[in-house]
Amino acid sequence: MSTVEHEATTDVGPGSSGRRWIGTNVPRKEDPKLLTGRAGYIGDLTVPGMLHAAVLRSPHAHARIRAVDTSAARALPGVVAVLTGEEALHHVNPMTSFCAEPVPQHAIAVDRVRYPGEAVAAVAATDRYIAEDACALIEVDYEVLPPLVDPVEAMDPGAVKVHETLDSNVVFHRSIDFGEVEADFTRADHVIRRRARWHRMGAQPIETAGAICSYDPFTHDMTVWSNTNFYNFLPWSFAGMLGVANNRLRMIPCPVGGSFGSKHLINKVISIAGSLTKAAGCPVKFLEDRLDNIAANDNVGCDRSYDAELAVSDQGEFLSLRMKIVDDYGAYFQFAHGQHGNALAQPTGPYRIGSVGYDLSAVLTNKVQQGFFRGAGADPGNFILERLVDAAAEELGIDRVELRRRNFIQPDRFPFTVPTGNVYDSGNYEPVLDRALELAGLESWQAEKERMRQQGRYLGIGLATCQERTGYSASEWWILYDKPPLPATSTPESVKLDVDATGNVRVAIGCPLWGNSPETVVSQVVAEEFGIDPAAVSVGYADSTSGALSAGPGGSRVTIMLSGAARGAAGTIRAKMQRIAAHAMEIDVADVECVDGTFQAKGVPSTAMSMADVAMRAHLFMHDNPAGEASGLVETFTYDHPFSSPPTADRKDMGAFYPMVSHACHIPIVEVDPETGAVTVLKYYVVNDSGTLVNPALVEGQVVGGIVQGIGAALMEEYIYDADGALGTPSFREYLLPSMHEAPEVIVEHRETPSPFTEYGVKGVGEGGRLVAPTAIASAIDDALKPLGVWIDELPMTPERVVEAVASAADRMVTG
Amino acid sequence: MPDKIRISLTVNGVGHDVLVEPRMLLVDFLRDELQLTGTHAGCEQGVCGACTVLLDGETTRSCLLFAAQLDGSSVRTVESLARPDGSLHPIQRAFTENHGLQCGFCTPGMLMAACELLEHTPLPEPEDVKDALSGNLCRCTGYQNIVRSVCAAGRVLATAENGSHPASETAETTGASA
Amino acid sequence: MKPAAFAYLAPSSVEEAVDRLAEHGPDARVLAGGQSLVRLMNTRLATPSVVVDVNRIPDLDHIGADNGTVHVGAIARQRSCELAPLVRSRVPLFAEACSQVAHVSVRKRGTVVGSVAFADPCAELPAALLALDGQVVARSRAGERVIDADDFFVGPFENSLAPDEFAVELRIPVTAVERTGSAFVEVSRRHGDLPMCGASTVVQLDEDGAVANARIALCGVGQRPMRARDTEDLLLGQRPADELLAQAAELTAAATDPIGDCHASAAFRRHLARVLTRRSLQTAVARARKEDTDA
Repeated sequence: MSTVEHEATTDVGPGSSGRRWIGTNVPRKEDPKLLTGRAGYIGDLTVPGMLHAAVLRSPHAHARIRAVDTSAARALPGVVAVLTGEEALHHVNPMTSFCAEPVPQHAIAVDRVRYPGEAVAAVAATDRYIAEDACALIEVDYEVLPPLVDPVEAMDPGAVKVHETLDSNVVFHRSIDFGEVEADFTRADHVIRRRARWHRMGAQPIETAGAICSYDPFTHDMTVWSNTNFYNFLPWSFAGMLGVANNRLRMIPCPVGGSFGSKHLINKVISIAGSLTKAAGCPVKFLEDRLDNIAANDNVGCDRSYDAELAVSDQGEFLSLRMKIVDDYGAYFQFAHGQHGNALAQPTGPYRIGSVGYDLSAVLTNKVQQGFFRGAGADPGNFILERLVDAAAEELGIDRVELRRRNFIQPDRFPFTVPTGNVYDSGNYEPVLDRALELAGLESWQAEKERMRQQGRYLGIGLATCQERTGYSASEWWILYDKPPLPATSTPESVKLDVDATGNVRVAIGCPLWGNSPETVVSQVVAEEFGIDPAAVSVGYADSTSGALSAGPGGSRVTIMLSGAARGAAGTIRAKMQRIAAHAMEIDVADVECVDGTFQAKGVPSTAMSMADVAMRAHLFMHDNPAGEASGLVETFTYDHPFSSPPTADRKDMGAFYPMVSHACHIPIVEVDPETGAVTVLKYYVVNDSGTLVNPALVEGQVVGGIVQGIGAALMEEYIYDADGALGTPSFREYLLPSMHEAPEVIVEHRETPSPFTEYGVKGVGEGGRLVAPTAIASAIDDALKPLGVWIDELPMTPERVVEAVASAADRMVTG
Repeated sequence: MPDKIRISLTVNGVGHDVLVEPRMLLVDFLRDELQLTGTHAGCEQGVCGACTVLLDGETTRSCLLFAAQLDGSSVRTVESLARPDGSLHPIQRAFTENHGLQCGFCTPGMLMAACELLEHTPLPEPEDVKDALSGNLCRCTGYQNIVRSVCAAGRVLATAENGSHPASETAETTGASA
Repeated sequence: MKPAAFAYLAPSSVEEAVDRLAEHGPDARVLAGGQSLVRLMNTRLATPSVVVDVNRIPDLDHIGADNGTVHVGAIARQRSCELAPLVRSRVPLFAEACSQVAHVSVRKRGTVVGSVAFADPCAELPAALLALDGQVVARSRAGERVIDADDFFVGPFENSLAPDEFAVELRIPVTAVERTGSAFVEVSRRHGDLPMCGASTVVQLDEDGAVANARIALCGVGQRPMRARDTEDLLLGQRPADELLAQAAELTAAATDPIGDCHASAAFRRHLARVLTRRSLQTAVARARKEDTDA
């Protein structure tokens, strides 16, 4: 169930009062092809002469490669090319890295493997079966090295180094005080101290990453079909890696079968297919299988330990927040510490907290590297903050709801600058909280909890009130560096819109389809701007040669940015059509309005031209048009970040880099069996405020999907490496995703506080469910087991951890 | 290389008489040999259910079956659901009307599992849907709208079988129509 | 994840199947439902050079009963067994165990005999068969051999079948009805996963309400399914009061020798053995007393 309540706020866009399409549940344009099996995912594509690749992976976490014998593999009928890491370097360059530290990375390991599953050799053969047969024939002579599994041990100066090029496995350390942290702690009446652990989890889209690369050795053209995101953002970085000129590279998008952040680059896959097509002289497809994807894709999220303190006054006023963080980045540092830039966009949540101390140690170990995964660093941030708030409520004896109320940023304080410098555009948090409490029917759940306690059962009511920073600026990635290697500040989004001579609108968008609804959003915006039916708008995808710059989905930005780009393009073309119509009707352009797809004289609907009338003139009748008006109706519109600023040199003020901030209150109801550790989510209530909703049904879909991923994070999802460094969770039999039975009924309501920074007041929503659910579930388990003295400080809470928490609470009670 | 096996089977009503390598998995046979790429491979070990097809009317994971085993069998895939004129099958329509899909990768498997369920349980309760489809993983939707879609499809199909016109309103969400 | 090459044979009779197995010995694997074998082949953890597909042998999917024994043929599916009135009424524990194997879609293809022969120490059906004093009927060129469940399970994924033997049937003694209850309870990470631990229990009470017969077997707590014989002895002749059941649970847990993995450590599995032994006994006793309304 999803209902929407509109905030009485001033509207932000022209013509917004009578919106016809924005805010309605327009049928999803993407669906028919997906429902009928006609999507054309990368796995579905075939190019004439195409070979199939398979990769041999290291069974060891850490080893020197002494020798690789590929002779038997090469001799196998059907095998066309076999490449070791060293051989691949004849065809491709090291993978693009965004860190400042010298941590080179190859798609196929050279000399040394640094995590279990790292590629050691790749084969291209006439089919995948034969390619795998060939992999089985490759012999690798490894000298096994001691694996680094525990990040704290890896921090020891005497520890074996993951990279000889570094002085230490602490690849990055920085400690910054934003505001008067010391002073705020000194004047605090209470300091709430907690440790927390957030384990390594991964995106695990059901579709793996894949690419077809086709190299023409005569023209030096490289064509890449893939499910990457950044083909219209950083194509030059792929070109550099593939050893081709950027103006010889064409990257063609495919619909993406889920990403959740894990397919921004997919450099490994593209590099492997790229090196093999060069070696084999024909197109090569490399599509990861599930084992490839779990072991080696860039789909892993944060792996953090927190030592955190919240300074609080007697009245329960939050004064300062201080965190010391160790984050296990795995074997490489490809994306640098961007996940912490992300967390610093909203470290203080929806609360007024005057200062923040942030001490980060990013550590390298022998595990697959971190990439981006829905939440992207703010997910554990919300967890630790909400746990501190609940701990403060308990220690101060203030009700957890009341304590939140006292500290919420009030609606008249927006735009609000948080201690790190990021800006929150707008918000109104108490009505969200009030409505969530009402929606959940808290009193009846309290009664149910009492009743179940009488039967020896444990029901818990969770509560979390969290932020979702949306719409990132590129500074997120490098903001903690003094000397960033690429201090980019642009995150553009573009569409190319044209109205053909018969008046039909076609839009090519720069971003891919990766599970969200860009076609629907764009068609709604275009329909809104021209007053036409969204079903009549044709939407397609622009490849990397189009110039449609696009950072694509990520950081919950794409609906914000696509709305801006589509509205910009539509506005430009509409204005041109107005000029042409005015000229034709011999009236002033200011007197022409576009209503329901016709251009008419204001107040005189009988004097009107259809879209087709105007379009035909624009295309073919230059002498009938205003002088200087070029023929045709085509516009590539690039919408840049609507509100951002660069950081100061000392980084004490990071500037506005993630300013469209959504908010939600989650109330999950769980039952915990303290004997078996089983946690069952019985029901889940959400009130969500992500600004103006473009399409409420689709927003609800994002929220519910994110919540179930969050339930996975809270209860079951984890990468486990054993003491020898072996990956204990290599497949979906060990890395567990929630199934239908673990998904509760979720009741969603929306409030709308529009963003003053964006077109129509849109904010992002893609990550919100997963940003809030884990900490909400933690508080629910905590609430259930409070009679047993349990405090939840670790996620996921697997059955074993629940039982251990109950046992150690019992021990504490005994020993006093 | 061991001898290929000759099999005769029907896929979506079309007969095929072919030689297959014994190790050719059904999912690869459908995708690579017949170019029916609507059936997706998600995990290739029977966990995710993305490759679910109907084998002689029963759901099966096409990644755990060799094509060589299928002599004399009849297979139905997602490509059999919609009509060539572009009209969606009522189950597909229910999925779009109830927003039962996002990235769409797991959807063909869900649809085929739903087909089988509705064959035997025309008006399923949400719990019936969970029991029948729990072996199919979806990473996007959180499942709620999939369950709604299947229940809604059941109602439409049941109405259609009673002789009246299939109801066009299957959306359960409040205000789900524009 | 693609299987290595193999030769495919589809015998049309049991005789032909055992001939093929005799010819190819340990290089051959029997393919029934394929829900475990094909998975292992796809990851090349199993690379048989010959696959003997027994799905085309007529009459191997039988589920029947005679002389106090339920018979389940080699290609009878888990779902069929779970739903068969004959299984539900005569060996309710087995039907209950079947209903907890994986997901419906897997049970429709997966076979009961295949799951038993696969001998996964965590799986439900081996433990249930063990608790029920079931037997596996093996055929080879040499004839028929009947193997008690206790002798059948050797170690993880290891049974006592010779390479030329084909498990054609399970035989499960019909469970008494009078004052008898059984229960299969398990804890898994998610619905449908292999249990971290499962306990299968059959309890018969005498007219005074004391335990006349108890059989307990667990999965997930060692190299193979474990029969808790000391616990059975402890219960014999005693009234199943809470204290006794707690003692029984303790004794059972102490007898386990679990192997830890990513889902549960050895210690946690032992803990679960304690909890689940108690719970399965409680349910079985309640069912024996007809107190359990779900039974």
